[in-house]
Amino acid sequence: MINERIRDLFAGFDKDLKAVIMDVLRVEQEHISMKRPRVKDQINEIITRVAEKGLGQ
Amino acid sequence: MILDWISLENFRQYFGRQELTFARGHERRVTVIHGVNGAGKTSLFMAINWCLYQEGVENVGELVSKEAISQAEPGQQVQTTVELSFLHRGERYLLRRGLRGRKGKDGNFEVDPVTEFTMRRTRSDGQSERVKNPIGTMNAILPSNVRTYFLFDGEKIDNFAKPETSGEVKEAIYLVLKLEILDRAHRHLEVAAQEYRQELKKVSSDELRSLIERNEGARTERENAQLRLAELQAEIVSARRKIDDIDKRLRELENAKVLQQERDRIEKALEQRHVELDKITDRIRDLATGAYIIIAYPAVKRAIEILDEKRQRGEIPSSIRQQFVQDLIEQMRCICGRPFADGSPEHQRLLDLMRTRVPGALEDDVLDTNAALQPFGERAERHRQDLDEAMRQRTELVDWIRDLEAELDDVQRQLRGSPLEQVRNLEEQRQGFLRDIDRYNLEIGALAERIENLTREIEELDRDIKRARKDQRRELLLGRKLELAQQAADGIGKVYEIFADDMRSSIEAKTKEIFKQLVWKESHFQDIRLDENFNLEVIDRYGMPARPELSAGERQVLSLSFIAAMSRISDEEAPLVMDTPFGRLSSHHRNSITQCLPELADQLVLFVTDEELRDQARANLEPRIGAEYRLEFNRNTSCTEIAEVIR
Repeated sequence: MINERIRDLFAGFDKDLKAVIMDVLRVEQEHISMKRPRVKDQINEIITRVAEKGLGQ
Repeated sequence: MILDWISLENFRQYFGRQELTFARGHERRVTVIHGVNGAGKTSLFMAINWCLYQEGVENVGELVSKEAISQAEPGQQVQTTVELSFLHRGERYLLRRGLRGRKGKDGNFEVDPVTEFTMRRTRSDGQSERVKNPIGTMNAILPSNVRTYFLFDGEKIDNFAKPETSGEVKEAIYLVLKLEILDRAHRHLEVAAQEYRQELKKVSSDELRSLIERNEGARTERENAQLRLAELQAEIVSARRKIDDIDKRLRELENAKVLQQERDRIEKALEQRHVELDKITDRIRDLATGAYIIIAYPAVKRAIEILDEKRQRGEIPSSIRQQFVQDLIEQMRCICGRPFADGSPEHQRLLDLMRTRVPGALEDDVLDTNAALQPFGERAERHRQDLDEAMRQRTELVDWIRDLEAELDDVQRQLRGSPLEQVRNLEEQRQGFLRDIDRYNLEIGALAERIENLTREIEELDRDIKRARKDQRRELLLGRKLELAQQAADGIGKVYEIFADDMRSSIEAKTKEIFKQLVWKESHFQDIRLDENFNLEVIDRYGMPARPELSAGERQVLSLSFIAAMSRISDEEAPLVMDTPFGRLSSHHRNSITQCLPELADQLVLFVTDEELRDQARANLEPRIGAEYRLEFNRNTSCTEIAEVIR
């Protein structure tokens, strides 16, 4: 229910934006037990991948 | 997550291998594990936590069965393991956590600090694979910081209901209902956006636009210059044609005919001399390129002199090879073929030459150097002579040209001073066209130089533009990344408020619904409120906050209602594993909880004493119990065995 509700709330967002948000949430979920998770590189990879795809690079 | 089975080996008082299977049916989803105080309920509860999260244990050494250590021989290894199987979203997971130790000769037990952990996943098609990121996988299933709301000590759960614990309530909602994930994602995306913004500031500039503008300007200027060059060349052709026409007309005029013919001759001769002058200038340039021979000659000459002096002094071999001298001595013959006597001057001379003997390689080098330097002088002399001759020819040609030009000037002066106006006019026009050609040539020279410079500048600008375009692509990508990161952060920020409010309202309503079912004074407690600061409040029939007055049992019921509500709202398939849940509850609450709790959890595992679960409470749970075990403590061995209760 929670995951569906979250997906619903982002349903109206732009496709690329939604892809970034869902992937970042997945990464955050995987690191939720850590107090200071090192997710910077993974988040950058997600954003770069979506941005490059969007720009056709 | 639905627990399937657990297996313990030498874990605390569980000596050897002990196993139990959890109930996980739709109807019979309750597992009851009975044990008196000290029988091992908490150890079993600890085994689940340790296996899943490696938590709940302060000293791993205490996990090893003392009986196993006691039975081990000195030097023998003892292994403690907990294996746990659970199901999650159609896949089966198998976890194995273990530690090893060795009994020393002195009887002490040393535990290896490295804990062994394996996680495997079996898909519905039966294929098994090792899970490469077990921590991430567990965080996606049931994170360790969320576990305390699903696996807990029943006697300690009333914390949520204490007035001072709104922080814990908030944390529980944050973690279980994913608000923490949204919050972290928001923060991390803001940080990413900030970094992209900083980076963008560094690369962003108008450089490319400026370079393109400069490139366009340079290309336009070059194009205009080339057009002007073509115009001037056409003007020169036209002027020359007009001069030819004038010359033709002068040749036809009786009074100018001779002078014009003279001019034709001089101009032809001048043209020929100019061609020759160009040739001789090229020749001088070539000779000058090789003039190093002349410059180096004094040094070479000195080197030859030094070699000769050294040879005279016998410091280096003569220009005759040593082997040849040796052969002559052996044959007792002079170089001319005449024999000589022992001790004769010829013989003595050859012996002197042999005294200057040096190693073969040096002899070769000296002779080769000498041979190479000798013709150098001849080449330098020849080169100097060639250069002198070319310079002489050039001077001759220059004088010749000067004379021809003087002659030409004389002819032109005569034509300009002709008594015939027609001749004078034609000559003046001719001079005008010649001046024009000179001007055009001057301009052409300047334009050609400008075109050359512009071409070089354009080439450099093309290179700079290529580099700047690369930077621009990076800038474009950074711009898009910034846009995505910022919009994602903003989007999550907006959604967060809506979602948090949603979750708070849902938890409030569900907690109220469950609390009403569980509490026996349901008419006294009218409402449950969870305010915006996450304070959990019970409102009594007078509309007053009643939490400070709740009994310990009522607080436990309120906490349980809150946990069950979170479990329902989160919709995460998870077990409720409760250690001694009913110890402080009166029969009213026990009865209501045992009646409702199986409906509120996907799986229920209860660690109870016999006193906790009897009479009506037991009867309520009976139809939902799918597995039942008794922890049997052996007073003789101080070990516990898990015995299944046959139903």
